[in-house]
Amino acid sequence: MTALQVSHVSKSFPGVRALHDVSMTMTAGSVHALLGENGAGKSTLIKIVTGICKPDSGTVSMNGATVRFANPRQAAAGGLGVVHQERNLVTRFSVGENILLDRLGNRALSLVDYTSLHREAEKWLKLLDLDVDPRTIVSRLSVAQMQLVEIGKALSLQSRVLLLDEPTASLTPNESKVLFRVLRRLRDDGVAIGFVSHKLEEVFDICDRVTVLRDGRNACDSAGLSQLDRNDVVQMMIGRAERITTRAPRPGTDAAPYLELRGYGSGAGHRDINLTVRPGEIVGLYGLVGAGRSELARAILGLSKQVAGEVRVLGRAVHISSVAQALHHHGIGYVSEDRKAEGLILMHSVLANGGITIWRKLANALGLLRDTTIAARVGPVLTRLEVKTPSVHQITGNLSGGNQQKVSVAKWLAAGVRLLIIDEPSVGIDIKTKAYLHDLIHELAEQGTAILLITSDMPEMIDVADRILVMDGYRIKGEVGNDRSYDPVSRAIMGLIHDRAAA
Amino acid sequence: MAATRDSALTRAFDNDWIGPGLVSLIAVVAISLAQPAFLSSFNIFVLMSAISVNMVIALGQLVIIGLGQMNLALGSIGGLVAISFAGVIERYGVPVPLALAFALGIGIAAGMSGGYIIARTMISAFIITLAGLQIFKGINLGITEAQPFYGVPEAVKAFGQASVIGPLPWLMVPMMVCSVAMWYLFNRMRIGRHILAMGSNPQAAELSGIDPKATIIWAHGISGLLAAIAGLMLVARLQIGQPTIGDDWLISSFAAPVIGGAVLTGGRVSVAGTFFGVVIIAIITQGLVMFNIDPFVVQIVLGALILWAVAVNRLREVRIARVQARGAGA
Amino acid sequence: MAHAGADRPIPPGSAPRRMSSGMRLLLGNEFGLAVLILLTVAIFALTLDGFTSPFSIYTIGRQIGIDTMIGLAMMAVIVTGGLDLSVGAIGVCSAMFFGWLMQVMGVPVLVAVPLAVLFGAGLGFVNGFTVVMSGVHSFIITLASMSIFFGVMIFLTRAAAFNGLPPQVQAFGKMRVLQGISPLLLIAVAVCAALVVFYRYSTLGRQMLAAGANARAAELSGIRTGRVIVACHMLTGLLAAIAGLMVTARTGAAVPSMAGQLGQDWLLPAFLAPVLGGTLLSGGRVSVIGTLLGATFINIMTSGLLLMRVGEFWILAFLGVMLLIAVLADRTRQIFLTSRGMI
Repeated sequence: MTALQVSHVSKSFPGVRALHDVSMTMTAGSVHALLGENGAGKSTLIKIVTGICKPDSGTVSMNGATVRFANPRQAAAGGLGVVHQERNLVTRFSVGENILLDRLGNRALSLVDYTSLHREAEKWLKLLDLDVDPRTIVSRLSVAQMQLVEIGKALSLQSRVLLLDEPTASLTPNESKVLFRVLRRLRDDGVAIGFVSHKLEEVFDICDRVTVLRDGRNACDSAGLSQLDRNDVVQMMIGRAERITTRAPRPGTDAAPYLELRGYGSGAGHRDINLTVRPGEIVGLYGLVGAGRSELARAILGLSKQVAGEVRVLGRAVHISSVAQALHHHGIGYVSEDRKAEGLILMHSVLANGGITIWRKLANALGLLRDTTIAARVGPVLTRLEVKTPSVHQITGNLSGGNQQKVSVAKWLAAGVRLLIIDEPSVGIDIKTKAYLHDLIHELAEQGTAILLITSDMPEMIDVADRILVMDGYRIKGEVGNDRSYDPVSRAIMGLIHDRAAA
Repeated sequence: MAATRDSALTRAFDNDWIGPGLVSLIAVVAISLAQPAFLSSFNIFVLMSAISVNMVIALGQLVIIGLGQMNLALGSIGGLVAISFAGVIERYGVPVPLALAFALGIGIAAGMSGGYIIARTMISAFIITLAGLQIFKGINLGITEAQPFYGVPEAVKAFGQASVIGPLPWLMVPMMVCSVAMWYLFNRMRIGRHILAMGSNPQAAELSGIDPKATIIWAHGISGLLAAIAGLMLVARLQIGQPTIGDDWLISSFAAPVIGGAVLTGGRVSVAGTFFGVVIIAIITQGLVMFNIDPFVVQIVLGALILWAVAVNRLREVRIARVQARGAGA
Repeated sequence: MAHAGADRPIPPGSAPRRMSSGMRLLLGNEFGLAVLILLTVAIFALTLDGFTSPFSIYTIGRQIGIDTMIGLAMMAVIVTGGLDLSVGAIGVCSAMFFGWLMQVMGVPVLVAVPLAVLFGAGLGFVNGFTVVMSGVHSFIITLASMSIFFGVMIFLTRAAAFNGLPPQVQAFGKMRVLQGISPLLLIAVAVCAALVVFYRYSTLGRQMLAAGANARAAELSGIRTGRVIVACHMLTGLLAAIAGLMVTARTGAAVPSMAGQLGQDWLLPAFLAPVLGGTLLSGGRVSVIGTLLGATFINIMTSGLLLMRVGEFWILAFLGVMLLIAVLADRTRQIFLTSRGMI
């Protein structure tokens, strides 16, 4: 029986066509995987289903009737439970109160009957095999337990459709097993479960059907997983054309390292990090979400304390304590993965964003500088990156995602950094800009810039990096040389990560 | 091993009122040893009257702090209510119970109207209640022309001056009723739990099906009601409808909850802690008077107390976070 | 393959909407305010006797100067998305320090002025440093510092005014330049000009706007946001001190009650002028000219209403309503601009 059907949904945001004619059918009593790379449109689809955004066209229906939820509350009332990636619990409240937060009483001044509330909550905890007292304060639970409490909360609304957005991202393999046991039982009880994950082993372990999105379109619509193998799914996710790399492996360099970490440990939790990046070299840093890659980049920039080992720039031991120091003294720049929150000041102009790194350098003795001075430096870089904007005074937030990303790279090129750390460069941008950025990274390396590339996008990693360091649990697990042959390299990388999972 | 030891410590840290309670106790003992007149029944009466009024004021701010907002208009609502109450009695001879209901109604309406605008537009509570402060104060002065209403009935005056038993003033009664009611609200009532849920994690609260608008309007309405009660208590205590009532509430209304462990970002409040916060402020104020220290120093001490409390709360949060992180890692 | 994506036109619908500079001007707060001011002035001039009298123009102008400075002082910290409740207290403390320097220490006026202004900046530094170090919102820190600054000042001065200031101070406050313009207004206009240059052309000014708009992005672009935020608070203190000195010149004495209990009377003009002028409360964007126009509008309305014999006290309530209207209008404008993709 069809529990939730998405038919021909399209959705555009200013500058991006997020979804194009996407369909998905979830049936009762089955676990349905929703897959796709970052920026493929998964989160937009979930937002549309749960009423956070409205589709431009197309419909969503539940149990055969078309639904248009105005907000997630209505969706929940309509029997659609969602467990979001962010923890949505009130950590100072008890487990039971969190599960039944919207049913504390009939009227505002009603007294809460905690005895019956906790008894009711216990039912849901039992159903989830979660052996905690409903009176426990949520902040005392483990992450996995919190996850289960959220599922309990969604179920307690009598949800017959349950969407889980990356539920295992922060769980250990054992905790995931417990979660899967629960999901299987719910499935057997006739709940339709939607499951978003990056971990394909899990998908094959628990899901029956799969919908894959690529660049906002269906790469497949609710196909049976039993007829597919892992390779098929990966190909649908990344597209064959993209997978075949066009670049020959670059010759190694024996230039003296630009940045070198030896036995480095950070306040963020990194231990025994050994890493070198040479001028003209592209070093990849691969790992799953939560492996500590972006955190390592931030630590190098001085945003976490150095607690062990040493950091050398051009062979000289240094102690970097702020981004300003990293930039102005050591020529290190960082393109953040979170363009909107950290990479750019969206409400300011393209010129202001492109020049922010060099204001200090360009100012005269009085600390004054003119737009024309900045434009003289930033303009050529914007031209070189072919940023499409009506004028440099355009508000950056009005540019398309790809052009925004170019601006966030441009400010580092304008500053002439010698080491550029690039974090997830192609999230939320179109394929062509992505290819362009890959070319740009190579071009920069050819000109002698040292590059540290962080990405969870395996084809991107294999296409761009010269050698790949694999990170897990805030440690470097090993290094893989990259000869651009997808299967052996990706197998080697996954092998390095999984040796921990097996242990 | 470490976890069990820490959990006992954490629990003590977690308890909002033990610290301020101990400080109050020590302050009382220290001052009364140095100055036995501190425990004279007259002094206790004065002290308890001040504590009673200030506690209700602090509760009015506490409910908004729980929501993660602030109410700058608290004092001006209290002042407007005070002069409205005394005014309708003096000008129109309205019977006391009716005037009481009218005045409380004004407080609730003033609070709710601010809450409505905040909920509807999601403009920061700071700026909306700043506008409210100015509007209510302007109406107050426009009506009174800055002159007090003197026609307060004897019964009301008596209420503000009489004692229940010994040195305990009648003013304590509304204070205790309000405190118990607010304790129930925060710990046992749906609306109070929703206010705290909104204060701790607004997104989670909304996704859980809590109506954010209704919760905000309720909280501001309750705040207005408490401001009104405090304004009326001051009319009884001062024996006149003084237009300046409420002018000096701002600092102490924040100081007491913060000393009592309230977190300004919302979600964490303690009625008992706030009570001890009020007590500490009252003892220090009174103590300075007893030792003939310049009363202006009170301002400085109040400011310093806020900074101290903010620092303590912050350290405590950091500590709890660290203990929890260690617990999760183990 | 190289640069294959470069020539790709931006897909239709995604192209940023172009807006002519004329359109921008029309939509800006400043333009609307200017029109509003002209209209009000025209109406009042035609209907109210004495509105255009030289004395009226002189006093309105003088008060505009003072309110503009108070507004600019708050604007300088609103840039960071924070606020400073202690502007009034800083203004009064600096004015009292100014009075003390001259009356008690015998410091000449021209030396006392810069010292008092620096004193204000110093108090601002205390605020900024505490805010940045504690990581607590500026509301509670400046609430405490407002109480402390004011308390220390009252304690030291015993709440007594400095009445024996050098005659030049009062003479300056009463001076009329160019046939009836107060030098206080001219100072405010000059400070506005300096701030326009500061926010547009100086590194520090730009850094303030960047840190205010998105502190994380600014920090990751190599701006030391902590220092910049301290600088914002110092600028606030400096401007508040100038406002305090202007009030002192107007009254001819440094009076502890000149900004009311704890300096709270300055709070409303401090927020009203920048908000009317289009400064975003969430930070990242300022309007110096808007603040000047905002203060102008407030004072024209106030004097008009006074001439209409609306009681002085009711005008307080009116100003509160105006603040409410200003923020509601600002919110409506933002929603409108966002929906048209202009922000």
